[in-house]
Amino acid sequence: MLRFGTKSEFMREMELDDIFLSRLQLLVIMAKAYLNQYPLGEYRQRSILENAALVQIDAAGLAEEASARETDEPDSGSLDYDPVFYQRIKLLTVMAEAFAKGHALEDHKQEALAHNLESICEAITFRKKLSEMQFLKVA
Amino acid sequence: MREVAIIANVKIAVIDEDVVVRDFVVSTLMYSVNRNILAFDNGFDAWIHFEESGFPDVVVADVNLQEIDGLTLTSRIKKIQPKTIVALFSDAPQNEIAAREHGADVFMAKPFGVNDLFNLIQTFVVEPEPPGDDAADA
Repeated sequence: MLRFGTKSEFMREMELDDIFLSRLQLLVIMAKAYLNQYPLGEYRQRSILENAALVQIDAAGLAEEASARETDEPDSGSLDYDPVFYQRIKLLTVMAEAFAKGHALEDHKQEALAHNLESICEAITFRKKLSEMQFLKVA
Repeated sequence: MREVAIIANVKIAVIDEDVVVRDFVVSTLMYSVNRNILAFDNGFDAWIHFEESGFPDVVVADVNLQEIDGLTLTSRIKKIQPKTIVALFSDAPQNEIAAREHGADVFMAKPFGVNDLFNLIQTFVVEPEPPGDDAADA
């Protein structure tokens, strides 16, 4: 039997923050795959649209919390990123929706997408390179 | 280099009563394989579907499920369709041993992420290279 996931001593229920960060990581991979011209398809498009919509909703809520923290409200204990980070996520979701709907992003928009991904990736870490996910090359 | 292939028309089912986790797993797997993913919120509905419509290639299920739990479901699936890959996930360390004893192929310890689901696909859904490809690539 193979074992994936966290170490035994760190096992716990998955919280909303875990799901948000995982969905954000998935969205980044989706965008990188698009920039690398990996094939899309009906279900990949559907998955991108659903994922982008959910990340956008969560990011909006977390952005409000981040703004509140910047004023004088006490820390709610949730994810601690600055409001600009959430604006970058919102931009990513909008771009993801565009390419998932088949709207080709012009070169300068692709550059903007790549730059935005770079900024987001500075805040979150990845263990796996896109090139290692060979199944994404299959339509 | 050999072209990558995945199991043709791969059929994957996800079973979890927690809709937030279930939807995340479904999104990730749907994107990975570009196929529809079956989703159920309890073990009984999943089992009935499998009996009526055939067993999936891969089942990803929580250990804690209503009516038929993940461990029982694994035993039932393996008895009738041993080729079906079963991945069980849980937040309780003691369920790892139980999952092994019931015949699960993978135990996914919560919290898990995108990389763990990608590993699952890479291991069980990507077609293995035919013998001799190493020599051809060398």
